[in-house]
Amino acid sequence: MSSLSHSRSRRKFRFNFAYPVLTIGSLIALLPFVWMILSSFKNLKEIRQVPPTFAPDEFTLENYDRVMNDEDLPLGLFYRNSVIIAGANVVQVLFTSSLFGYIFAKYEFKGKKLLFWFIVSLMMIPAQMTMIPGYLILAKLGLINNLLALIIPASMDPFGIFLFRQFAVSIPNELLDAARVDGAGEFQIFRKVAIPQLGPALATFGMLTFMANWNAYLWPLIVLTEEKVRTLPIILTWYSNQMAEKTNLTMAASVLVILPVLIVFLFVQRWIVEGITLSGLKG
Amino acid sequence: MKTKTSQRFLQRFVLGRDSAKKRFIAGTISPLVLYMAFWTVFPLLWGFALAFFEFSPRRAGGFLGFGGDNPFIGFGHFMSMLNFSADSPLEVKQFHIAIRNTLLFAGLVVPLNLIITLPLAFMIESVHERVKGIYRTLFFLPVLAPSVGVAIMWGFIFHPQRGLLNAIIGKFAGRLVGIHWTGDPNLAVLGIPMALFAIIIAYLWQDFGYNMVIFIAALQGIPESIKDAARIDGVNWWQMLTRIIIPLISPTILLTAILTLISAFQVFDIIQVMTDGGPKDQTQVLLLNIYNYAFRYQKMGWAAAVSIVMFLLVLSISLFQSRVLRTEWEY
Repeated sequence: MSSLSHSRSRRKFRFNFAYPVLTIGSLIALLPFVWMILSSFKNLKEIRQVPPTFAPDEFTLENYDRVMNDEDLPLGLFYRNSVIIAGANVVQVLFTSSLFGYIFAKYEFKGKKLLFWFIVSLMMIPAQMTMIPGYLILAKLGLINNLLALIIPASMDPFGIFLFRQFAVSIPNELLDAARVDGAGEFQIFRKVAIPQLGPALATFGMLTFMANWNAYLWPLIVLTEEKVRTLPIILTWYSNQMAEKTNLTMAASVLVILPVLIVFLFVQRWIVEGITLSGLKG
Repeated sequence: MKTKTSQRFLQRFVLGRDSAKKRFIAGTISPLVLYMAFWTVFPLLWGFALAFFEFSPRRAGGFLGFGGDNPFIGFGHFMSMLNFSADSPLEVKQFHIAIRNTLLFAGLVVPLNLIITLPLAFMIESVHERVKGIYRTLFFLPVLAPSVGVAIMWGFIFHPQRGLLNAIIGKFAGRLVGIHWTGDPNLAVLGIPMALFAIIIAYLWQDFGYNMVIFIAALQGIPESIKDAARIDGVNWWQMLTRIIIPLISPTILLTAILTLISAFQVFDIIQVMTDGGPKDQTQVLLLNIYNYAFRYQKMGWAAAVSIVMFLLVLSISLFQSRVLRTEWEY
């Protein structure tokens, strides 16, 4: 009886309150994207119209034609730069995080506790603390305006090591010892036995790392000042400043920069959400 | 089943492997330590040292550029930060403004974020299983977009003549509206500059899906048995919410609030693209201030001193967090 009345009140809540609010809310979440896409199909005259139209009166693909054939905006090159940086960082961060997480979980050595405590405390230090000296070091090494400036200092992620240690603890020791009996080397054990056990963590953390690198703005802005080495977020800002009066072109460029990867992220969002919840629930 | 002899064999074998293990650890941990020493410890120390010098990378100096034309000034930067008089130098005035704006921004973002994300998570958890995923995906979409793109989209929405917001308001008002949301220094609500509100709206829009999925996961983590027991006891939905659900997820709420606060302290992308600190420094925040002084005006000593202040601010919150959240919750 009570559970019946409860489910009825729950249904009432759904239809009178939850569905309307959620639907309006999701429209608000979508609106900026929709307007960006619609504006990218307007011509210059219509984009300057006051007040603006919502959907284009005259649908045109000319903006895309101009953005993609703009010699000052070789989007292919910037896509390549972003892919190189994000790809390289995913590979190396996954490698170092899983390796060191596994070692901290499964091996004993002198100073282990101290080192692990030190790595964990690094998570509390905001990245901006090393921003200025980091720039000076890279300048001394002659790596400013080199994609390596975004790769070399990013080889290790304290949070990744911490996360993988939590996962690696649950790998059964019998499994590792069995491989030792079979004569496998220690690194081989890590590669052939531990890595397959860390699959979900690799997927989740890999996605988060890719997304963070792909969308990064401040550090690339500091170390990449020449045009040919810029990444997509940097070039998008630059272009929107250049074309401040031609918002139709800016919007077409934004669509080309934002949407393709947004759609990819959408397909893998399960792992991204998992990663976020992991970091949010466990700290 | 393991026999005694095989166990003994295993033990001896594992012991015999000690040197292999040692080599493996030495071969992996020593590069880690060297790498961290060079890319983490050394920059940290250098960053601290910079704050005590009048430093510009363009001037000549001795070791690491210190000394020579980059003189040691002790606590000079920190002392001048405490100069609240009207004739203090521009950098000090901007620092004070940046501190105030950062606290204001973070102080508004955290409660507004929780007011949006908590009810949203409850509502998404209440709807039918089949549409849950659709709503969650739609709300999560802005999290996946680059913050630069978010700033450009919202900058266009807030555009005084061609923007969507003024067009919508104009439609209701029945006349042309030309409010310059992000550029008019005289616009304010409750003494808070309108441009800062515009930034906060764009920031919240991008960020709310993040906390929302955390709260959804926390709600899903509450065992059905507890809710069933409460139902049998005849509690209504309000009691269920305030007496059972909220207390159970309160550690998550607190942790999320603190993490949101820390990331709000470090806001940069959206502000730099949308307003670049303007109008009249009304959206000037700490990280933008550090970036400008270090990389635009080349006053790296001053910028390093501001970074230390920011670091202490974030550190004190982190320490507060680790103290408060040390109590383990079990259910």
